Amino acid sequence: MSVTKSIEEINQKISNGEAVVVTAEEVSTMARSMTAAQIAERVDVVTTATFGPMCSSGAFLNFGHYSPPIRMEEIYLNDVPVSGGLAAVDTYIGATSESRFDHTYGGAHIIEELIAGNDIKLKARAKGTDCYPTKEVETTINKESVNEFYLYNPRNAYQNYGVAVNTKSHTIYTYMGTLLPNLGNATYSTSGELSPLLNDPAMRTIGIGTRIFLCGTQGYVSWYGTQFNTSKPVNEYGIPTSNAATLAVIGDAKEMSTEYLKAAYFEKYGVTMFVGIGIPIPMLDEQIAQACMISNAQIDTSVIDYSEPDKPVLTMVNYEQLHSGTIEIDGKSIKTAPLSSMKKARKIAQELKDWIDRGEFYLSTPVQQFPNHTTVQNLKQR
Amino acid sequence: MKKRYVLRFSPEVVNRPIVSDIIKAFNISVNIMNADISSGRAGMLVVELDGSEEALEHSVEYLQRHGVDCSPHVKELVFDQEKCVDCGSCTSVCFSGALVMNRESWELEYHADSCVVCGLCVEACPLRLFTITRGAAS
Repeated sequence: MSVTKSIEEINQKISNGEAVVVTAEEVSTMARSMTAAQIAERVDVVTTATFGPMCSSGAFLNFGHYSPPIRMEEIYLNDVPVSGGLAAVDTYIGATSESRFDHTYGGAHIIEELIAGNDIKLKARAKGTDCYPTKEVETTINKESVNEFYLYNPRNAYQNYGVAVNTKSHTIYTYMGTLLPNLGNATYSTSGELSPLLNDPAMRTIGIGTRIFLCGTQGYVSWYGTQFNTSKPVNEYGIPTSNAATLAVIGDAKEMSTEYLKAAYFEKYGVTMFVGIGIPIPMLDEQIAQACMISNAQIDTSVIDYSEPDKPVLTMVNYEQLHSGTIEIDGKSIKTAPLSSMKKARKIAQELKDWIDRGEFYLSTPVQQFPNHTTVQNLKQR
Repeated sequence: MKKRYVLRFSPEVVNRPIVSDIIKAFNISVNIMNADISSGRAGMLVVELDGSEEALEHSVEYLQRHGVDCSPHVKELVFDQEKCVDCGSCTSVCFSGALVMNRESWELEYHADSCVVCGLCVEACPLRLFTITRGAAS
């Protein structure tokens, strides 16, 4: 008879210190000598993780009221423009927003520095109203002086992502890094068999409300991510072979660590942010075990030409090939390089495992599952 | 013995055959790893000199006497490795073998000896951890 477990049963085991927690890489290794049924029986939780540049990220922040009050309309933090359209003293710091004076410094740096405890220069301007008479404020803030400061990332943890190459005769600079001419290199950005949404591709256990590891603290999946697409072609293992589902995530930035959140600048592209996410997958049954057994050789992805405006797909490769350091396109051997850190992803998967082992982290049932027939539309001229 | 240097010279020196001078005078072989030279402006060469210790010393002296700044190349690229997150972006543009991902631990390995000071990693690192010192550190 096949094994089934409930999240409550798994949490009870965690509480008793009896839960068997392994990382997704460990499950992929176990899969060489064990069946799905055996793994479902043996393992209770599988930890997955990723640490990569995720542009659609940012943080909400409440400065606290000034006296006399100001309804901030134009706001800068260390000269980086942040959102001024949120009542009087709320703002949203978009990770990719760039300083007026230094395009290599932006919202991601503000978020990282605030987490580190640094002081940040605030400049705000308003028209002045009867109830908010102050027109200008210039002061210094830090994470202790503000009220709420929480990360809210609209689109993270892409389920698979294409490999970037350049077929033109000149170098191009992209969010996938420096792409050398004439297929001079290939870059990719997922943690493969360790990646969260590749271990539960149907998202049976991950949904709205799922408790996760977010940049060093406990956070939550708040919604499905923007550009959430469940209609992408899948391979024989049910893995979408290009960018598909995404997650919106939320967590208390005051509790986060700069070890797992890093501001970055991609040459001639702009500012972005490395985000560390870990997601536990409860071993509910054999089907979940089967999904977690996925290995790099079974995860295919598309090789995309970033030098063409409509980004055509040139060929397909798998993560075992990408991880080997070279792939072949049209008989040419091309050097591959990751943009997301496997080392950090492993550290996150291990840390999440440690939290669960110590009974500091419990699994959650999604409050609601994600939609399952979504597509993505393009912006059209009309 | 083999030693690598970064040679920098003024527009006046660009027009003189300094490399063949030292090859002929000191019987050494010169492997040019990287070059950025054009008439009328300053030039830069990354070279590996191969010969006896004495011959290498004489070569460097000769170059310096003729207005060429010689800097041992290992001091040229400064990498703030402590801040590295091992993402691997720099390895996409490094073809000299200086920056390599260890495919077991997925840690970035930095082999300063193999660097040819091409400078591509300076732009490729999203954390901006590489700087070329232009000999300042030497």
